[in-house]
Amino acid sequence: MERRHFLRAALAGAAGLALGPVLPPPAAAARQNQKKPLPELPKNLPWWLTNRDANHVFWTRGKYNFAVYKVRPLALDLNAVSVGHSMAYEDMVTGRTAQLETKTFARIDNVLKNPPRFAPSERFIGNTFSRRFGVLEQVFDQTHLLHSQTVDVLAEPSLSRAEKEAEIERLYEIYRTTTPYAITPLPLNMGYLYGQSYSRAFRNRYPKVNGLFWGYHWLQGAMYDALYGLTLEEQRKVYDVLGRQYHDVELYRTDRIFMPMTAEVSPRFSARFPHIANVFDNLHMLHDMVNDILVTEGLTRKQQDEQVTRAIWLVMEKAHEGYKPGDAPEPNGWRDYRHMEGMPGMGLMPDMTPEAMFMQGLGWMSLGECHHCSMPLPEGRDAWRAHSVTADGWTMRVRCPLCARDMSLETKGRAVLYVSTESPERPLVLISDDQGNLTPASDRGRDVVFLEQEASHAGCSEWSQAFTNRAAFDAFVAANPEYRGAKARTLAEWSALEGKRPDTYFKRQGPPGNPFDGAAEKKNEGSKP
Amino acid sequence: MKRFLPLAAASLLLLAPGAARAIDHDNIDGGRPLRFEDADSIAFRERAFEFGIAPTWPRGSDFGLGLSAEYLWGFALNSHVSLDFDPSLGGRAGSDDARADLGRVGVGVFHNFNRETLGTPSFAVRADAYLPTGRGTRGVDFRLRGIMSRTIRGNERVHVNLDGEFRTDPEEGGRSFVPAVAVGYSRPVGYPRRFDRTALAEVTWRGGEGGEGGSGGVLSVGAGLRQQVTVRSVFDVGIQSDVAAARGAARDDLRLVAGYSTAF
Repeated sequence: MERRHFLRAALAGAAGLALGPVLPPPAAAARQNQKKPLPELPKNLPWWLTNRDANHVFWTRGKYNFAVYKVRPLALDLNAVSVGHSMAYEDMVTGRTAQLETKTFARIDNVLKNPPRFAPSERFIGNTFSRRFGVLEQVFDQTHLLHSQTVDVLAEPSLSRAEKEAEIERLYEIYRTTTPYAITPLPLNMGYLYGQSYSRAFRNRYPKVNGLFWGYHWLQGAMYDALYGLTLEEQRKVYDVLGRQYHDVELYRTDRIFMPMTAEVSPRFSARFPHIANVFDNLHMLHDMVNDILVTEGLTRKQQDEQVTRAIWLVMEKAHEGYKPGDAPEPNGWRDYRHMEGMPGMGLMPDMTPEAMFMQGLGWMSLGECHHCSMPLPEGRDAWRAHSVTADGWTMRVRCPLCARDMSLETKGRAVLYVSTESPERPLVLISDDQGNLTPASDRGRDVVFLEQEASHAGCSEWSQAFTNRAAFDAFVAANPEYRGAKARTLAEWSALEGKRPDTYFKRQGPPGNPFDGAAEKKNEGSKP
Repeated sequence: MKRFLPLAAASLLLLAPGAARAIDHDNIDGGRPLRFEDADSIAFRERAFEFGIAPTWPRGSDFGLGLSAEYLWGFALNSHVSLDFDPSLGGRAGSDDARADLGRVGVGVFHNFNRETLGTPSFAVRADAYLPTGRGTRGVDFRLRGIMSRTIRGNERVHVNLDGEFRTDPEEGGRSFVPAVAVGYSRPVGYPRRFDRTALAEVTWRGGEGGEGGSGGVLSVGAGLRQQVTVRSVFDVGIQSDVAAARGAARDDLRLVAGYSTAF
């Protein structure tokens, strides 16, 4: 039976088209950039920012190392990402920018389709780049190590959820204390960082290769929620969906208005580890800034080198010492550590206020609210109780199983539903096929039962719940007499239901105008690091 | 012979399929498989085991088998220490003795001074002390090695190793100082389709040792390959030959090398 009705998707898509941003044409963007002077290299930078050492650091030991290979397609895709980054950088610094959209793209695309078995040594693929930007390479290497070891921990089946969380925190501490050039965990103002005089040069001139970079960043963000809290069997099945999306769509998108943010594609991980999500977003922004610097016309080699050094400094933890999330001594400037409301793991987006986030194709929303019923999502210690839906390249948190189910029905293509139960260690992961039919991703869904007594969505997290088994359901009903006589629905029974349009839903409105239209750049002109 | 059994067993254990950790096939350590090494230290906090076996056909002597095992530890940024064993069985160049020999046990320290930039090669120094643990060995030998690595084109690199070996108690007629130089070449092979293999070549010259080893220098050539075999390990193979020797210097007609390195 065709269960998808696409109504809301169509509405959202129409709204996205109507309200959505339009990429400024390259010539216009270039003119916009040329109006701003090239920022100066700050004085008295720490010595290590220009160090001459190699400084290779080994991974932290743990039984989880390389566990990502248990989800082999993901491991191979990540290996290919390393190659793609290095090849593009090497061509950018060896006078081959003219062929980026043709030969370089084809060469990288071939690797992405035929990924290497092992993670290659990026410094030998991008030999000239590494020799020229050795400190940048150190920053990349260290943070990529945090990236990969975090993934390994999440993919290690022998660790409990609590053990994984503790180990990830330990890895983060090792990351920030081993070498001085750790990236700040603060939510940086993305509008400021993407409002430099050279910003958007790469996106505008090399949209296909930029699309690859942002596709990599999509994968590197999305993989966290694809692994976090899931069993190995579930991880493999979820990556089957995610990997297909990555290869078929995300790598080849040239219409993105901004790089994918970790919290956009892994909101559960970002809510639990906002500092790490911020590190990854700041790292990815550093990638973008370097790309832009290297392809901006008219810069001398010395200017390029200085701007890369400045870009590194802009995201260093040391540069932001003494500040905490939420501080904003320079609103809309470099020292603006506000974050999107409801999501401490996402810095302020260009031309947005903390209250409203613009998601391409979906319109304005708040990251602290259910995207189906607009009610507030659980926070802090209860954040794990949120559910999520992954479809069509995005992941949204929702407030109850009904919201997850109905939201997945309203989207096209395959979907992944992450449904919390009464136990944080035993969520339910469901895969929705193109027709909206739900299948558990593991036998954890075998005994699951649902409570669904639809009423106002003001209380949906109470009347719509999933339980690991009938005993847990009975215990809840016994403790909550108002649900006496409620039916324990099997997965088949529950998935056949469809709720009414949530009475609490409202379409959030953002500020007037078009985000990403460059207005953020104008605001930032007075702010100097 | 008995003393080699635990070593062989350990080698076989590590050669068995299973988890090990990525020593990078592009990072070249001495003896794996050729004599030269690059100017990179192993990573800070890295530990590595490297094993090798080298069937050797010395000129004027019986077939021999060289073995090697080395432990490395990256104790600080850009620095590592090493402990190595180089036992042998059967014939060896410059000696009539074909009995099994533990050889000298070496301890060393390696320090990299700088990474390679566009304008500056990478430089490193390595100092080793070789203890008199082998048959008939006397005194402690010291070796100081200066290393330079530089990219010459694309990702092709040249490595120069300059050695000075100092012997505190040389054998009868032997020299107390023996110089050597090795020029190595490396390049990854398979780009842009594969990224797990590095080809190597070298030309080395070693000064005369005096005594049984002969007074003249020896010119050698070699070629090899390093292949990543698991995420944590590298297999290497090489072939070497002493192509010229002056004034009766001992030489190996042919030396094959196979090794396995794993980091953890």
